[in-house]
Amino acid sequence: MCRMAEKGGQIVPESVLKKQKRTEEWALAKKQEVAALKEKKSANRKLIYNRAKEYAKEYAAQERELIQLKREARLKGGFYVNPEAKLLFIIRIRGINAMHPTTKKILQLLRLRQIFNGVFLKVNKATVNMLHRVEPYVTFGYPNLKSVRELIYKRGFGKVNKQRIALTDNSIIEQTLGKHGIICIEDLIHEILTVGPHFKEANNFLWPFQLSAPLGGLERKRNHYVEGGDAGNREDYINELIRRMN
Amino acid sequence: MSAAAARPLVTVQSLESDMATDGAAANSVPLPDVMRAAIRPDIVTFVHGQISKNARQPYAVSNRAGHQTSAESWGTGRAVSRIPRVAGGGTHRAGQGAFGNMCRGGRMFAPTKIWRRWHRQVNVTQKRHAVVSAIAASAVPSLVLARGHKIEEVPELPLVVSDAAEAVEKTSAALKVLKQIGAHPDAEKAKDSQAIRAGKGKARNRRYVSRKGPLVVYGNEGAKLVKAFRNIPGVEIAHVSRLNLLKLAPGGHLGRFVIWTKYAFEKLDSIYGTFDKVSEKKNGYVLPRAKMINADLARIINSDEVQSVVKPIKKEVKKAPLKKNPLKNLNVMLKLNPYAKAAKRMALLAEAQRVKAKQDKLDKKRKPITKIITYFCCLSMHLRFWVYLYFIGSLLLVSQSRASLMQPGWKLPCPVYLSHSVICLLQEEASAINSASKSWYKTMISDSDYTEFENFTKWLGASQ
Repeated sequence: MCRMAEKGGQIVPESVLKKQKRTEEWALAKKQEVAALKEKKSANRKLIYNRAKEYAKEYAAQERELIQLKREARLKGGFYVNPEAKLLFIIRIRGINAMHPTTKKILQLLRLRQIFNGVFLKVNKATVNMLHRVEPYVTFGYPNLKSVRELIYKRGFGKVNKQRIALTDNSIIEQTLGKHGIICIEDLIHEILTVGPHFKEANNFLWPFQLSAPLGGLERKRNHYVEGGDAGNREDYINELIRRMN
Repeated sequence: MSAAAARPLVTVQSLESDMATDGAAANSVPLPDVMRAAIRPDIVTFVHGQISKNARQPYAVSNRAGHQTSAESWGTGRAVSRIPRVAGGGTHRAGQGAFGNMCRGGRMFAPTKIWRRWHRQVNVTQKRHAVVSAIAASAVPSLVLARGHKIEEVPELPLVVSDAAEAVEKTSAALKVLKQIGAHPDAEKAKDSQAIRAGKGKARNRRYVSRKGPLVVYGNEGAKLVKAFRNIPGVEIAHVSRLNLLKLAPGGHLGRFVIWTKYAFEKLDSIYGTFDKVSEKKNGYVLPRAKMINADLARIINSDEVQSVVKPIKKEVKKAPLKKNPLKNLNVMLKLNPYAKAAKRMALLAEAQRVKAKQDKLDKKRKPITKIITYFCCLSMHLRFWVYLYFIGSLLLVSQSRASLMQPGWKLPCPVYLSHSVICLLQEEASAINSASKSWYKTMISDSDYTEFENFTKWLGASQ
């Protein structure tokens, strides 16, 4: 049965002693864990700071480079043509009723299941053809840095364990995308903006953006943008729409 | 279920009439395996309920009751209800309603029948399981106490008495025996509780009720003890091979206070068998196995085997924080992007610088003109003319000889009327205006679409 241990004259049952020892061990292990985590976090922070600084420089340099090339070309009497955009932002502008099943499926594949949902998209032949099929239901264009930043900061939610988790901490991003080298929100923005090698994973991590109805309204949903409406490709003017919807 | 060798011993209580020959004051018997069987109150309740139905006597109303009339309904049209009414006349009974359960003197609803299923069948193994459970429960002091028996003075449970008890003949001697073994308080309790039954039962030959006292179990057929103990109120007797569940668990409640004689106690092993050995008396019967071998949950949980792999309790359950907008909330922004502070600071400084630079540039552009004009205004008419001439001349000179633009000491024939400082001022002003206009031309060209027109470029003379 129980062996009794003398403790200051009083008999303490062995089970109590065992439990004490156990709780001590656990407390120690936990403390060590917490300390290790803290260290790792602070090291990470430095890294994130430097990366963000790099990116800021990179974005500024890109901008200035573009302007410089344009000026140069004009000076020589030629033209500088902007490289075709690699990144698109699509917003669904029509509701869910009375849709052709194929277009419905395409919108589902694009993760646009609700009106005023937005997603980023890589530009290639496959996606462009898909967009062509769903043109009357969406509006899309080429987002700039400010759009991407604001969308991800304000309305960024990540898919963690099939759940929609708010991006309130870099650890959430690191947990899922750490293996691709994306450990903070600035990394994520950079990956999306400069359609990087892990764009697919980064974009899929982002839950489709649930935007508000645009302040000031849409012009005319049923017409194409070139006809004075809202549907289809509006290239750079998507940024203005995003400002009103974010 | 360790080996039989590890069975605990039960001391046999000795009576005064016992033989003093047994040197050891306490004789002891090993505990039979029955007493370590699983205690299953659910089975006992079920079996007890079923078995207690088996002693019932059928009851029913007479099958003719309520139909011993020739009543017939009067039908409609007579301003009375349509219930069958007693025929005839000359008596109160005539015209009264009959047959229906709602009628006075009518037949009851669903007259009780004697062919109601009074008795219940129970599987033999189940019945045996129940008895085994009840015997095991009788060895647990807490259960016996819970059932209400007064066993505070009983030396040991299960209470085994030496065989001398079986030879007891007189009831007075029996009482003495009970007193010796500490079972008297229980018998007394039963005696004191004798009362008239509450309810109709008292008029139905069940007039008195009392509590149950100890159950004395003996092993030898025809033992004198039966006659001695049976008249003591509350005490019941049973032979060990005919143990009745209704006596072992009265009311379906486990834990009857049982007094075993040594002989009976030793017989239990052969009657019920052990966990390994088949019973001798019950064909092919083995004691039932418990669902859990070790039912001490606390011990299991706190054992080393379990605790060594168990993780610590999660006391703080993480709740998701409310999402705050980093574009508006600086602290949240810094949590996500520590560089944001530096970037913001740099942006603010750059903006301030830009504003300042613009202001300076504007000031520089606007300032000199006013200086000359004020000076100009102070001059006499005559001098103003010369200043004006000189100014235009210097401008023209500068525009024509671009190469010599930045030469510091170029000279122009100047009239004596103008002082040296004025001349310097004018020259500075002229060069400044020229450089400004030149840069403006340059931007005009590069920002304009006019570079397409060859003539225009030739006029402006702007190439690289």
